[in-house]
Amino acid sequence: MSALPRLSTIFLAAITTLVAVLLYSPLFVPIVSSFFTISHGNVDWSSPTLSTYVTLAENHDILAALRTTLIVGVCTVILSVVSGTLLALYYHGRRSGRSILQFIIFLPFLMPPIISGLALLIFFREIGLERSLLTVVIGHTVFVLAIVYRTVLMRLQSMSRTLVEASYDLGATGWQTFWRIILPNLSSAMVGGAILAFALSFDETMITILVTGTQSTLPVRLWAMMRLGFSPDINALVALILMFTVLLCVLAARFLIPRQVATERT
Amino acid sequence: MNQNTDLLTLRSVSKSYGTVPVLHDIDLSIRDGEFLTVLGPSGSGKTTVLRLIGGLEPLTSGEIRLDGQDISRMPINRRPFNTVFQDYALFPHLTVSGNVGYGLSVRHIQRKEIARRVAEALDLVQLGRFADRFPAQLSGGQRQRVALARALICQPRLILLDEPLAALDLELRRQMQVFLKSIQREIKTTFLFVTHDQEEAIGMADRICVMEAGHIRQLGTPHDLYYKPNCEFVARFFGENNLVAGKLGAVQGELRSIETALGRLVCSISDQPHLKAAAEGASAYAAFRPEALHLADAKDTDNRFSGTISDMAFAGSSTVATITAGADNAAQRLRLRVPSRVDGSALKSGEAVSLSFAPHEGHLVLA
Repeated sequence: MSALPRLSTIFLAAITTLVAVLLYSPLFVPIVSSFFTISHGNVDWSSPTLSTYVTLAENHDILAALRTTLIVGVCTVILSVVSGTLLALYYHGRRSGRSILQFIIFLPFLMPPIISGLALLIFFREIGLERSLLTVVIGHTVFVLAIVYRTVLMRLQSMSRTLVEASYDLGATGWQTFWRIILPNLSSAMVGGAILAFALSFDETMITILVTGTQSTLPVRLWAMMRLGFSPDINALVALILMFTVLLCVLAARFLIPRQVATERT
Repeated sequence: MNQNTDLLTLRSVSKSYGTVPVLHDIDLSIRDGEFLTVLGPSGSGKTTVLRLIGGLEPLTSGEIRLDGQDISRMPINRRPFNTVFQDYALFPHLTVSGNVGYGLSVRHIQRKEIARRVAEALDLVQLGRFADRFPAQLSGGQRQRVALARALICQPRLILLDEPLAALDLELRRQMQVFLKSIQREIKTTFLFVTHDQEEAIGMADRICVMEAGHIRQLGTPHDLYYKPNCEFVARFFGENNLVAGKLGAVQGELRSIETALGRLVCSISDQPHLKAAAEGASAYAAFRPEALHLADAKDTDNRFSGTISDMAFAGSSTVATITAGADNAAQRLRLRVPSRVDGSALKSGEAVSLSFAPHEGHLVLA
């Protein structure tokens, strides 16, 4: 890259900065404005305040929605990590029909959420399953499964085959090899996948709206609030969700690139 | 530990991957307590032999016997063999002692006993201080020794080593050769060592099994392989050699003549009945080592021919001269190795020389 002339380096830096600003500046607006009061359409910059957060904390609808979101998220994570890991192990050990399996797992993630949501809605109605948190969890699991599956599979494929062979060679049974060698080496990928799954479930709106019963999750609640008109505590809610999501992504990245593996490769 | 009894026997073992055969009818006996090296170029099937013995791959046909018992279908985790893998295959999430003790802990041996034997094994490979490190924190040579300790802690009947030194640099590789050999003497366990490096094979093995294209070409001591190769492949693959094609002549006791482009050469056939029995006029090669070739003097009446030095190459302790010998239409390129001298060799490029080798230092291989 150092071979590039100085002028084009400056040009590229300018473009990069511009893109970054365009991408990220809208995110800062609600964060900044969540700390100030707005009256008559004007932001009062003189007195930073946490009052929007207080209002938010007193909003019982929001708190209920947050609780629902967490319940759905945890259930989705458990279901998707278990089934995603099993699918990855199955896929890894299989010789034939691999591309079909891959396609089936990825389809719900790649399809427009409204299609997945409608398909699930029709399916639930056909089998007579009432819309509830259960249907939301199933919907989310179907949606995030591909991510967990992919994360675990990639770790599995980067694991040296000889690790498993060495375990058998040293006298271990298949069960011992799974618990003592395969699973510990997959664990950080599973945690990383779980965090990503949680982040996706946390933000998921379209499928949730279609398959939920009476309870709403946080994004759905937020959407409902927006329809009624803009209130300042929305800024606070957006800011919180944003920070939480960023935190999850940072955590996920940490687990997906474990230090031990990183040093071994160098 | 009696080196004369067979520990493990392979009987007409074949292996194919799908329709691709990789081993053809291998017969091989491994003696109890020996250091046997399987040597061959890549693709010769040497690693497959090791994987079949270890149980990592099923046989296509034939059988493997341990102490006379057929173990061909015994699952890998019940075979009393342990493997040192080429990439070491250390478990990255376990410490050095966790790795070394793994074979014992999966057998539900008491913690105290495991700790004692792990310490013992780590002492043996001189890694006592590194017990709590993780594999990623060790150097290549140290990982190698962990892999060895992990393999020998279960007191296997046979340790299988799959090119374990390939990833190390030259100096370390030489140290590890000496180290491996000394460990093998100390624990008196049979080693089956797979390599493509003949220097490694000569340095460590009691016996060497040379493989090519899924066949065993020769099995014998390094000395036998060097001085009595039984085929052209071994003669060329194992050490530097001069091979001159010709037709077999008459047997004269322990010697036999061969008519070549360099004239009639006389070579030793002692202890090689198949050379004595071969028909006169059969195609064969006269083979003689670069260090057996020398400038002829008046005493040399046999195996005398002339040539021209076309190149001189200094190689440290010795200097190798490339010589063109024989008539123009059947010129042979030969190599002559002479000890290096500080004031330079007496030989000069372009010089005409008269050369010879002693009949007992030449040998024959059938074409």
